[in-house]
Amino acid sequence: MGDTIRIRLPLRHAGFTLDLDLSLPPRGISALYGPSGSGKTSCLRALAGLDRVANGYIAMGDEVWQDESRQLFVPTHQRAIGYVFQEPSLFAHLSVRGNLDFGHRRAGRPSTVDTQAIVGMLGIGALLDRRADALSGGERQRVAIARALMSRPRLLLLDEPLAALDSARKAEILPYLARLHDTLAVPAIYVSHALEEVAQLADYLVLLGDDQQVHSGPLPPMLARLDLAAAFSDDPGVVIATTVAAHDDTDHLSRLDFSGGQLFVARRPEPVGHALRYRIHARDVSLTRVQPEATSILNVLRADVTGMTLTDTPAYLLVRLQAGDTALLARISRRSWQGLKLAPGVKVWVQIKSAALLG
Amino acid sequence: MLSAADLGALWLTLKLATTVTLLLFMLGTPVAWWLARSRSRWRHPVSALVALPLVLPPTVLGFYLLVAFGPHGPIGVLTQSLGIGLLSFTFPGLVIASMLYSMPFVIQPLRNAFEAIGERPLEVAATLRAGPLDRFFSVALPLSRRGFVTAGVLGFAHTVGEFGVVLMIGGNIPQSTRVVSVQIFDHVEALQYGQAHALAGGLMVFSFLVLLAVYGSQPRLRSF
Amino acid sequence: MSCRLFKFLLLPIILALTTLPASAGSITIAAAADLKFAMDNITATFRKAHPDDSVKVIYGSSGKFYTQIRQGAPFDLFFSADIGYPKKLARAGLTASTPRAYALGRIVLWSAEVDASKLSLEDLVKPSFDRIAVANPQHAPYGERAVEALKSSGVWNQVKGKLVYGENIGQTAQFVRTGNARIGIIALSLALNPAFASRGGYATIPTRLYKPLIQGFVITRHAADNPLAKTFAKFIDSASAQAIFKHYGFARIPAGTAP
Repeated sequence: MGDTIRIRLPLRHAGFTLDLDLSLPPRGISALYGPSGSGKTSCLRALAGLDRVANGYIAMGDEVWQDESRQLFVPTHQRAIGYVFQEPSLFAHLSVRGNLDFGHRRAGRPSTVDTQAIVGMLGIGALLDRRADALSGGERQRVAIARALMSRPRLLLLDEPLAALDSARKAEILPYLARLHDTLAVPAIYVSHALEEVAQLADYLVLLGDDQQVHSGPLPPMLARLDLAAAFSDDPGVVIATTVAAHDDTDHLSRLDFSGGQLFVARRPEPVGHALRYRIHARDVSLTRVQPEATSILNVLRADVTGMTLTDTPAYLLVRLQAGDTALLARISRRSWQGLKLAPGVKVWVQIKSAALLG
Repeated sequence: MLSAADLGALWLTLKLATTVTLLLFMLGTPVAWWLARSRSRWRHPVSALVALPLVLPPTVLGFYLLVAFGPHGPIGVLTQSLGIGLLSFTFPGLVIASMLYSMPFVIQPLRNAFEAIGERPLEVAATLRAGPLDRFFSVALPLSRRGFVTAGVLGFAHTVGEFGVVLMIGGNIPQSTRVVSVQIFDHVEALQYGQAHALAGGLMVFSFLVLLAVYGSQPRLRSF
Repeated sequence: MSCRLFKFLLLPIILALTTLPASAGSITIAAAADLKFAMDNITATFRKAHPDDSVKVIYGSSGKFYTQIRQGAPFDLFFSADIGYPKKLARAGLTASTPRAYALGRIVLWSAEVDASKLSLEDLVKPSFDRIAVANPQHAPYGERAVEALKSSGVWNQVKGKLVYGENIGQTAQFVRTGNARIGIIALSLALNPAFASRGGYATIPTRLYKPLIQGFVITRHAADNPLAKTFAKFIDSASAQAIFKHYGFARIPAGTAP
């Protein structure tokens, strides 16, 4: 493992042209994010070999799956992938156990696949002897994920696995997916149009825009890019990677360090040194020109204004800030921008009202 | 109540229907699969051809088979050159005729069943390392088993009920081509109503019991 | 199935509707299959003399017509290949006239593949005749006579395994005509017809080998009040009708055999 995933796909549908040329990192989760009809699923299906895109090229490290210049096309069943479809697609004629074993058996029941661990991780141990059609939607999708993992994929492909579920079911599965992210060495490509899922799970982001432009890069800087703000306008904000640095049991707080400073949050159970991802929404960030002295806000950072862009709402602006190596976004009013005489290069104090733990 | 000739006709009918059903499963399944999945421009002509026996009177089929099986017909020329003589008035000839006659009753339910599966389960199987044949046997077949039961029952029953084609190419030979429907016809023509009743009634009860067993053994269609 | 449904249920209904008395007369004749060509000619001649009347003919096996008439089929006249069936109808009270013989049927050995004119029944034991078509003796008079002839000539045991059975004498002729059976025993009236005579050849089977095939007809009870049926019955005795029968290979009834 550890091989870059190369994808060159000239996608052509009626009235739709997208030239995808991507190199995805060999570990972690890469998200394909964009609105419906932006070519996300087409890309994933081509990766799996379910569709054959003319003039496409797909390689997993040195293993080439499609190279039309050589008339090469490896059929789906010979690609070491795991695929989780949008709607739960269990085999109705098999039990949960039969479903799990389907791919596992065909992969040669490899000893490297810890089936117990997978069953435990997805919490489906009690379901093994049930019929596939006797499960809830969320349970089915968890079984589908476990089934894909048991076939020992080199690449996991997830096509909006939560989209067909209601929000309660989504909330039920997200923790399992996050756990997957933490424990799995297999790279995954996660198709979604839900920013919340992407922010929570992805390490690398491929943005497929309305304009048929493609932007890609590691998730945190991508989320902080003002030129892409329109794509995240639903809920702008950044993701920061932190490490548990200390616990304060008197005030029941934990201190988290990140490259731009420190963050105090309610006491975490994780030990010192543990990595945690936090999402800081732009709406939760406010700015002052002078150091706030009497404030209830716990987290105050020093940062430079590096840019500004307009938002959908004329009253508000999105301001980009740099604190050390970490970029932050703040949503402030136009009047505040003018009143505080903000401009790129101006040093400000950043007040963070809250940070949302991811995963 | 039933004479030896009647029992012979019954046995022959069961043998014919079983042979025809099994052969149609073997030959019809790939055709049904192709019809269900192909996007070829030949799909519609082949569909129409398969359905033809549904609309044609058996006499049309019987007439063409009689000509084709004859010494100057294409099939007759072939079978003679192969040294197996003519197929008319033989059990194998009856099997071929019945296969043509019952073909739509086997292929159509299979095709419907295959179409009902949809693309998705097969795609899922492919992503789980199952090759094309593997996908067919481990996913498509079990998911379409109701279609197979329907196809088998219809093919079998339709062959048992066959009359016109047999009459035209069978030659009414005991143990070979004199099936129950012809035997009943002969009894009626020969005014042997008692024997006709015994055989016809027996056939009706048998058919009813077979259908009852099939319907009874089928679980209700699940809503999933 | 649908074909039988048509024959047994719908056809009689349609016939019943179309034979409702109109201003002109109308009759429907059920005729044995061996009469096909002769009866076509006779009715054509009859129509010339009765241009306003409607005459329809349906051909089939005599046994089948007997059964259908017993079940109330709306036939006005029944021309059987064997007078036995009209007699049975008369005994059952289903007739409006006395059954009368109209011709003598003859059986011949015929092949479309070889010239059968030099052959006799004894030749049927040859291996080259692997299938011999005869009408079903259970209910077709011509089949019954064919079996009698085969038995009388002493070849029955050798040939009985080679027999294939046509539902009526017409279908038997088709088996031979298409070559599916290399040889068969059919009605002389059919063998004389150009459609069959153009192929192969036929040999008449000596009449001493089988009981005379007295073909008889009767007016059914259904036509009791149909004057045209009686007119047609009278026409059968006319010289022109008898000439046509003769032309198609039917012999006149010898005195003494007529009932």
